[in-house]
Amino acid sequence: MRLSSISRPRGAQQVSFRNTSSVSRILLEFRAAFVKDLRSYIRYPAWVAGDLVSTPLWFFLFAPGVVIFSPTGEGSSAQTTSFLYLGFLFVVLFSTILWGIGQSVRNEQMAGTLEQFLLAPANRMTLIIGRWARVFLTDGIIMGYTTLLISMVQGLPIVLLDPPLFLFSLMLFELGVIGLGLLFAGLTMRIKSYNTISNLVFFGYIILTGALFPIAIVPLPFRYVSMMIPFTYFIDLMRHAAIDTATILPETLEVATAMLLAVVMVLVGSFSFKRIERQARVLGSVAAS
Amino acid sequence: MQRTTTGVKATAAVLTAIFWKGLKYYLRYPGSFLLVIVTPFLFALLVLGMGQFVGSEDAASNFALRTGTTNILVYEILGSAVWMISWVVVEDLGVALRDEQMKGTLEQNFMAPVNRITLLVGLSLTCIVIISTVFFAVVGATVALIMPMELVRLMEAFLMLLIGLIPLLGIGFLLAGFVVRFKEPYIITQMVSLLFATLTGTYYPVTILPVWVQFFSYMLPQTYVIDGMRQIVLANRTLVELYGSIIALIVLSFVFPTLGYAAFKHFETKGSATGEFSKY
Repeated sequence: MRLSSISRPRGAQQVSFRNTSSVSRILLEFRAAFVKDLRSYIRYPAWVAGDLVSTPLWFFLFAPGVVIFSPTGEGSSAQTTSFLYLGFLFVVLFSTILWGIGQSVRNEQMAGTLEQFLLAPANRMTLIIGRWARVFLTDGIIMGYTTLLISMVQGLPIVLLDPPLFLFSLMLFELGVIGLGLLFAGLTMRIKSYNTISNLVFFGYIILTGALFPIAIVPLPFRYVSMMIPFTYFIDLMRHAAIDTATILPETLEVATAMLLAVVMVLVGSFSFKRIERQARVLGSVAAS
Repeated sequence: MQRTTTGVKATAAVLTAIFWKGLKYYLRYPGSFLLVIVTPFLFALLVLGMGQFVGSEDAASNFALRTGTTNILVYEILGSAVWMISWVVVEDLGVALRDEQMKGTLEQNFMAPVNRITLLVGLSLTCIVIISTVFFAVVGATVALIMPMELVRLMEAFLMLLIGLIPLLGIGFLLAGFVVRFKEPYIITQMVSLLFATLTGTYYPVTILPVWVQFFSYMLPQTYVIDGMRQIVLANRTLVELYGSIIALIVLSFVFPTLGYAAFKHFETKGSATGEFSKY
C-alpha cells in the first residue's frame, strides 16, 4: 500500500513543511503549542479549581501575619495592601518558571512523550514559549480574580502609580521568566529530583531578590548576591512603578540594566536548553525518568 | 499451619508492618523530609522580613501590642511548625490510599484479612513518628537557641500537640475517603492545608479574623494547639491552666475520628460496589 493512498482523517489539517523559517510557521507552532497546553489544562477541572482557590489563599494566609507588624490603625492601608499584593504577584509570576515551564518538560518525560515532543518538526523555543503563554494567561486570570477578591474583602484598591513603566518592567520580568524557564526545562532532562531543587530555588528567589521585602532588609554579605540576580532589578522596577519605592540604582540606569539582563537571560536560556538537549540525545537520557 | 490474623499479637504485627512501610518511604526520600524541616523556618523568616519592612522600627512593638509577646521568631515558628505538621498528616493520610490505588495495590490492601481501623492506625503511627521528629527539630531547636531556659516547657507543648493529633488524624481519615473518591490527592491536600493555615492563626492570633471566620477557626484542632503551645512556651502557662482548650480538643477527638471513619467506610462501601478502587 502506498502512503499517498491513505486518506486523511476528517477534520485533520494538512501539514506542510515548506517555508520552515517563515514567521507564519513560527506563529502556527506557537499557536499549536499554546492550544495543546490550554486543552491539557482545562481537561482537569480539579486543577483549575485548585489554582483558583489555592492562589488567593496564599495571600490571605500571609497578609494578616504581616499586617500585625504595622502601626495600629494603619494595618490595612492601601499602601500596605499594595505592597503585599505585589510580593504575591512576584511569587506567582516566578512560579511559572519552576512549575510551569520547567515542570512541563519533566511531565512530558514522565508521560513518555518527550521524544515525540523533541522529534516534532518544530522549533523547541516556540513549543516552550507556547507553554509559557498558557501559564501567563491563566496566571493573569487568577491574579485578576484575586485582585477583585482582595478589593472586596479589604475594601481597598490596589495602587498602580505608573502603569507604562510597570507594564514595561513586567515585560522584562517575563523575558527573564522565559530565559530561566528554558534553562530549567533543559535541566529537567538531567536532574530527576526536580521538586526538591525547584523548592530550594523558589525560597532562594523569595529571600534574595526582594520579592516579598526590599533587599535593604537582606543582611549585607547576602545583599551582594541579591544584586547579582537579574530578577532583583525587574522586581525593584515594578515595585517602584507601582508604589513609588526608591530604586536600587538611579532609575534610568536601572531600566537599562534590567533591559540588558532580560536579553542576556533569554540568550543564555536558549543556548543552555539547546546544549543540554544535545547532550541528552547523545547520552540517551531524554527518556530516562 | 495458617497464621492467626486476629488477637493482640497479630494486630501488633500488622501495625508494625504498616508502620515500617510508611517509614521506609520517608527514608527513601531524605530530600523531601529535609524540606519538611526547613520550610517552617523559611516561612516564619519570610513573615518576619515582610513584617519588619511594613512596621519599620516599630515593628516589634506593634507585634507585641497585638500578640502579647515580643518573642516574634518563637511565636511564628510555633505556628509554622504546627502548620507543617498538619500538612504532613493531611498529605500522608490523604494521599496514602490514593498512592496504593495508583499503583494498583489498594485492592490487595483491602483484601488482606486486616481490619480497616488497624490499617488507618498503622498509617497514623508513621505520622506520629514523623511529626515528633518535626516538632523536636523545628520547635525544639528554636526554643533551645532562643530561650534555653524554657526548654523544660517543651514537653508540655509536645503533649498539647499529641492531644491535638487525635482529631487531626480524624481529619486525615476523612480526606483519605475523599481522595479515593475524587482522585487528585495533591490538589485536595494543598487546598485543605492552606485553608487550615489561614483559619487557625498560623502567623497571627485568630482574634484578628472576622467573627464569622473565627467560628470555623474554633472548629479546627490546630487553632487550640497553636494557641496552647504559644501560651505554654511564651506565657509560662501550664496544661492545667489551659483546660478549656484541652476539653475542646477532647471533644474534637471524638468528633473528627468518628466522622472520618464513617466517611471512609461510606466511600469504601460505595467504591466496592462501583469498582472505583481500580480506577486511576
